[in-house]
Amino acid sequence: MRYWSLIFALAAAFSVGAFAYAPFSADWWLPNPAGEPRHVVSTFGREIDALFVIILWLTGAVFVGTHAALIWAQFRYADRVDADGKPARPAQYFHGSQRLEVVWTIIPAGILVFLALYQMDTWANIKFRSAAPRTPVLAELTGRQFQWMMKYPGPDGRLNTPDDLFTVNDLHFVKDRTALIHLKSADVIHSFFLPQMRIKQDAVPGMTIPVWFDCDRAGRYELACAELCGWGHYKMRGDVVVHETEREFQEWQAAKLAEQGRSQLATAPGDPGGDEK
Amino acid sequence: MIVRRRLVLGLGLSTLMTLAAGCSDADLTGPIVYEEQPALTREVEGKAHLAGKPKIQAKARKALEKLYGPAPKEIHVPEGAPLTKDESGRLGMLLANFEQTPEGPKKLDHAGGYGLYRRHCLHCHGVTGAGDGPTAPFVFPPPRDFRRGLFKFTSTPNGARPDRDDLRRSIRDGLHGTSMPAFEALLTAAEMEQVVDYVTFLSLRGETELALIEEGFIGDDEDEDALGDDVVAELVQGVFGKWEDARDAVVNPPSPRTPPSPESVGRGRDLFLGRTKEKLECAGCHGAKGLGDGPSFVEVGVFNRVVFGGDPSKMPERVAKLDDKTRELWKQKLDEWGNPLRPANLTRAVYKGGRRPIDLYWRIAKGITGAQMPAHYPGIDQAQIWDLVNFVLALPYQPELLDEPSTAGVTAEAPAVRR
Repeated sequence: MRYWSLIFALAAAFSVGAFAYAPFSADWWLPNPAGEPRHVVSTFGREIDALFVIILWLTGAVFVGTHAALIWAQFRYADRVDADGKPARPAQYFHGSQRLEVVWTIIPAGILVFLALYQMDTWANIKFRSAAPRTPVLAELTGRQFQWMMKYPGPDGRLNTPDDLFTVNDLHFVKDRTALIHLKSADVIHSFFLPQMRIKQDAVPGMTIPVWFDCDRAGRYELACAELCGWGHYKMRGDVVVHETEREFQEWQAAKLAEQGRSQLATAPGDPGGDEK
Repeated sequence: MIVRRRLVLGLGLSTLMTLAAGCSDADLTGPIVYEEQPALTREVEGKAHLAGKPKIQAKARKALEKLYGPAPKEIHVPEGAPLTKDESGRLGMLLANFEQTPEGPKKLDHAGGYGLYRRHCLHCHGVTGAGDGPTAPFVFPPPRDFRRGLFKFTSTPNGARPDRDDLRRSIRDGLHGTSMPAFEALLTAAEMEQVVDYVTFLSLRGETELALIEEGFIGDDEDEDALGDDVVAELVQGVFGKWEDARDAVVNPPSPRTPPSPESVGRGRDLFLGRTKEKLECAGCHGAKGLGDGPSFVEVGVFNRVVFGGDPSKMPERVAKLDDKTRELWKQKLDEWGNPLRPANLTRAVYKGGRRPIDLYWRIAKGITGAQMPAHYPGIDQAQIWDLVNFVLALPYQPELLDEPSTAGVTAEAPAVRR
């Protein structure tokens, strides 16, 4: 029976090996831009990842330690019988060890207190309303089953005026600039999730929640709903486009506004139908 | 001891096999088949049906199978169908995942409209496109039944088939205010074409089925020539022809939108309230405040109680409990598919068919197919339609436009929306 412990040892070794290998594989590690598997695109993302790695190391050390003890105990004491064929060390009941209890309570508690204090700054920077950047609102995002509806202030820079730009599942902002959105829900609890920027915030009906983030690489990213908000939950996928320059963003907005203001099919020669975006 | 061990082994194996069989896709769903129109076999009051005509029924089934294939897993594309041709000129190649070759089925390198439809659309719109998928009872308005070829938000005249762009737009942008989501971030442009093709295919199939039923209804079951090949070919050409004509029937406003000046918005308001010589009755349905609560429709409270007040399948029972007058009104205000209708609340800035001025122009000028919104062109001219569009677009930001007595405090650019 003692060799069963080797199965546990293998399972533990595989788990540790998987984590050791993960950072070197773009598919296994946290979502980062293709070609730059170890670059996190957002400021908060870097903080979150640092916290993640610390927790991973701590839990990893505890995992390795406890498994080593477990496997050693299994291997050392299983199947040991004396000359009469009875277990060499029969199991014995004992009431418990207060010293041990105190030790294995204080150590995890200490770790948790350390993590709780250590992450506070990051949490405050990302989530506290008072830390919200003093910038104009990029857009108002409303989650509903099953899509993200976006409303950008138009040329007048103010929301809820007739020149607002409406899009669906299409979030745009500019590189290296903090984007502030107002998050709402029209029906159930949704979860606004930008995996590459490590931003996740629930959208709660009846509340307007400010959410802010940035990105240092122009490109196309993903917006998902991380809440199981219903049968079509997976359909709440959106495109996030980070523009290189403000000018590029303005051009995109102008083109969208022109389409939103369309009052005739294009009649210019050579234009194929004109109803394409 | 050995007996006990065998017993345990047998029990374990049988459990495993039951589980394996129970988890198989085929066992859970059964074969995937198109659902027949009820009128093919049963008497349907006030409509053409083939009840009591087994020979014609068999002919109709055979014709459908020959034209469109026996089941969704074996798609046939009739010659000349108004569907996309692929790069090599083969018709209907966007529909299936497999191509039939002399050596047997060959897997294509794209998912195919059928596969995409199964993944994204089937749970609401159903296998046959009858709008009867498993999630359909839980959404309002109910998902579209494609089998009549009628679609609400089109650029073509009222009752006409949609243009391809209309279907594309609905899939890409979704229908705001309904449960139809936007698929822009989920499907590539090429995949969207495949879905448009498959939806068109389901419509063509459904329309052909209805045409066969209507034709068979006037035929004699004993007549050998009833639903003959020539007749079927003619019916199918009729179905295809309607789709082919759609592109040429797209309505393009002759002039661009009138600038949304206070004067234009004011003229639109007068049209809305029926204060012009044309006596439009917009307010009759959409309400004097544009809230979608006009007297032509059942009261909002009653409507909500009936539609959302419990098990959707028990809606007829709730309707039966209404007083005679309300019940009568209820029956009059159903759409072509028999679903209850509600006029849009124009103060919410939610436009199902799109918010572009051209979208609103289409809704006003040519109405909404299958719903009770009538075509207003040529009853009013295009300049008046633009005035109405300007009014409708301004209303959410200027609810005071419909305050009575209105003292024309009309401004085109209101500072803030009140919602």
